[in-house]
Amino acid sequence: MDLLGFARGPALKVAIAIFCLGVAWRIVGFGLLRIRRDLNKPRAPIAKYLVGGLVTVGSRSWPHREFIGRTGAGEALGYSYHLGLFAVVLLFGPHIAFLGSLFGITWPGLPSSLITVISVLTLTLFVAVLFRRVTNPVMRMLSNFDDYFSWLVTMLVLVTGLAATAHLSAPYQTLLALHILSVDLLLVWFPFGKLMHAFYIFPSRALNGAILARKGATS
Amino acid sequence: MTAPANSEITVGEMLRRHGISRRGFIKYCSAAASAMALPPSMGVAMAERLRNAPRPSVVYLSFQECTGCLESLTRSFAPTIENLIFNIISLDYDDTLMAAAGDAAESARNKAMQDNFGKYVLLVDGSIPTGAGGGYCTAGGRSAVDTLREAAKGAAAIVCVGTCSAFGGIPFADPNPTGAWPVTAIVGDKPIINVSGCPPIPEVITGTLLQFVTTGKVPDLDEHLRPKVFFGNTIHDRCYRRPFFDEGKFAKSFDDEGARNGWCLYELGCKGPTTYNACATLKWNGGTSFPIESGHGCLGCSEPGFWDKGSFYAAQSAAAWGKAGESAPLQVLKLTAAAAAAGAVLGTASAGVSRLRQHRSEQHAGDRESKGE
Amino acid sequence: MSRLTEIPIRIEPALPAGGLGGGVAAILSELANLLQRLADVQECATIDVRSLPMSPQDRIALQHALGEGEVQATLDAQGLSSIRETRVPGIWWVEHRDRDGELMAESIEVTRMPQILMSDTDEIAAGARALRAQITASPAARTRPQMP
Repeated sequence: MDLLGFARGPALKVAIAIFCLGVAWRIVGFGLLRIRRDLNKPRAPIAKYLVGGLVTVGSRSWPHREFIGRTGAGEALGYSYHLGLFAVVLLFGPHIAFLGSLFGITWPGLPSSLITVISVLTLTLFVAVLFRRVTNPVMRMLSNFDDYFSWLVTMLVLVTGLAATAHLSAPYQTLLALHILSVDLLLVWFPFGKLMHAFYIFPSRALNGAILARKGATS
Repeated sequence: MTAPANSEITVGEMLRRHGISRRGFIKYCSAAASAMALPPSMGVAMAERLRNAPRPSVVYLSFQECTGCLESLTRSFAPTIENLIFNIISLDYDDTLMAAAGDAAESARNKAMQDNFGKYVLLVDGSIPTGAGGGYCTAGGRSAVDTLREAAKGAAAIVCVGTCSAFGGIPFADPNPTGAWPVTAIVGDKPIINVSGCPPIPEVITGTLLQFVTTGKVPDLDEHLRPKVFFGNTIHDRCYRRPFFDEGKFAKSFDDEGARNGWCLYELGCKGPTTYNACATLKWNGGTSFPIESGHGCLGCSEPGFWDKGSFYAAQSAAAWGKAGESAPLQVLKLTAAAAAAGAVLGTASAGVSRLRQHRSEQHAGDRESKGE
Repeated sequence: MSRLTEIPIRIEPALPAGGLGGGVAAILSELANLLQRLADVQECATIDVRSLPMSPQDRIALQHALGEGEVQATLDAQGLSSIRETRVPGIWWVEHRDRDGELMAESIEVTRMPQILMSDTDEIAAGARALRAQITASPAARTRPQMP
């Protein structure tokens, strides 16, 4: 079996299996943890504080006015590259064909040349993000292996993808195989590092919001 | 086909005997040079060099093949061909084309190989089965393996015509019941040129042969021993539908609106991006068309193992989930459900361990409190 | 699966006029340089037209730019070929076609005369022999043309 066959076949199967196993493990794992029971009287009916939770998801998605000066740039950077990643992953023809082959559904995409432009922009933002993490003293102090490795693993997918579509010096099969292998690596790492924020972020905000709403606070 | 193999007659003399003038020959060489992307001056130079050269002896051996490659070769258009190619070379043995049969044919071949030992060009098509002691392909009582090994001894070079002899082809595909192997697995000590394709484009076969015969040297080869001049680019690199690929305009099914507008066939399984061949430039039937232009995606037939690379109709980027008979989404569903279930079990166990620890540490703290610490 | 008769015939609109104008200018300028070399140092050159990335419009534009000259030769060998001098002396347009009329090769030669037009020395010698044989043969044979 050649590298491409391995990457698209057994490696992908194992990666998807590990991804599902890992994600289920972590979600069920923390879902079943004990929550300290709040013995206070609830300040709002249940419906209200469930809605409060949902509202918090929205309200915490953008910094408060007072903090925009300090955090606005970082937020904008983050949103931009996330949108870029989603656009590239979900709206590129060959990716739609790939996901369609796995899930049996397809959807219309964007012109490939536009996707290339978006990828390059996202790549630039990614580099900017790393630069910020390394130069900002607070961020540098807070960052650990998890942060850098998660960045690296996502970056590899972007770089190999661009190299494959640009048909750089190596033969296309090799570039495509490397791209798919990097996706396999991403899938395997995903459940065990900070990339899990994809699954945690909304439940976490919702839970915080619900707890606070129960206490009668808004946030 | 002449017998006995009289390669002392020059090519020029042979042409004269067949009423082909020097000008006609220059035309042919110019067309061949143009097809091989050589400078036009090479056409005249080729003509001059060939005219004074003795005709090289060529032995064509067919093994486990469908004869498609030979059929392709005899359809070469560039230019009116069989006469010319058979005047430039002395085709001393080809069991499909020659009039002789049986012992007469075999002895003609043996004599040609003896008389031209070390100098003849060996063309091979078909894979070589090694199973059952080589018994799956025998001719004249001898196995293909033995015949090839013997013929290779006196060959100046071996040209593997078609994917079967170059890479094993269809007999080599899973489960390979006859133990088929390509020529490179059987012969190791001779220059080998792989002209792959199922079949190869006729002009690629004749062009490669002509180049070798004219220069006496093996042309520039890629890592699969294919002449770079014909196999240096992928179909995708030269495909006229590339603008549609770049714009993301893909045909979704055969004969739909996109397909009728000539859009890219990537989603219908075209293997153009990973296939090296000259189909998009030289095309077939004298430049008439090629599979993509006729509406069907490239099968990748000039690549090793193309029969085992998944469906011809699954997009290149599609996952290669192999089990036939069951839809890929269903297999994905089963796999993810099983993995998620396993993960849920682990998660429950983790949560259980965590709760147990919390419970124990609370108990422990309770004990310490009650002891008055 | 639709029927053959139901597939509509599309008439492709003609390519926009002009094409890649720049390409023709580049070829003409290269030809001018080659022609100068021919004039200065008698060096001949050939351009393979089929290797040039040209739209059909460009090819026609190039032919018009070079024009028709005084000499038009037809070669009948393994199919018809046409060798024409263009309006520019020293630039010849050569088209080789096979017996089915298919274009096999097309080139622009910068030379005093394309080599293919000249008679071959070996063939001349063989022709001389054949002619002498024809003369010494029967009177009827003298007027019947013979292959050298």
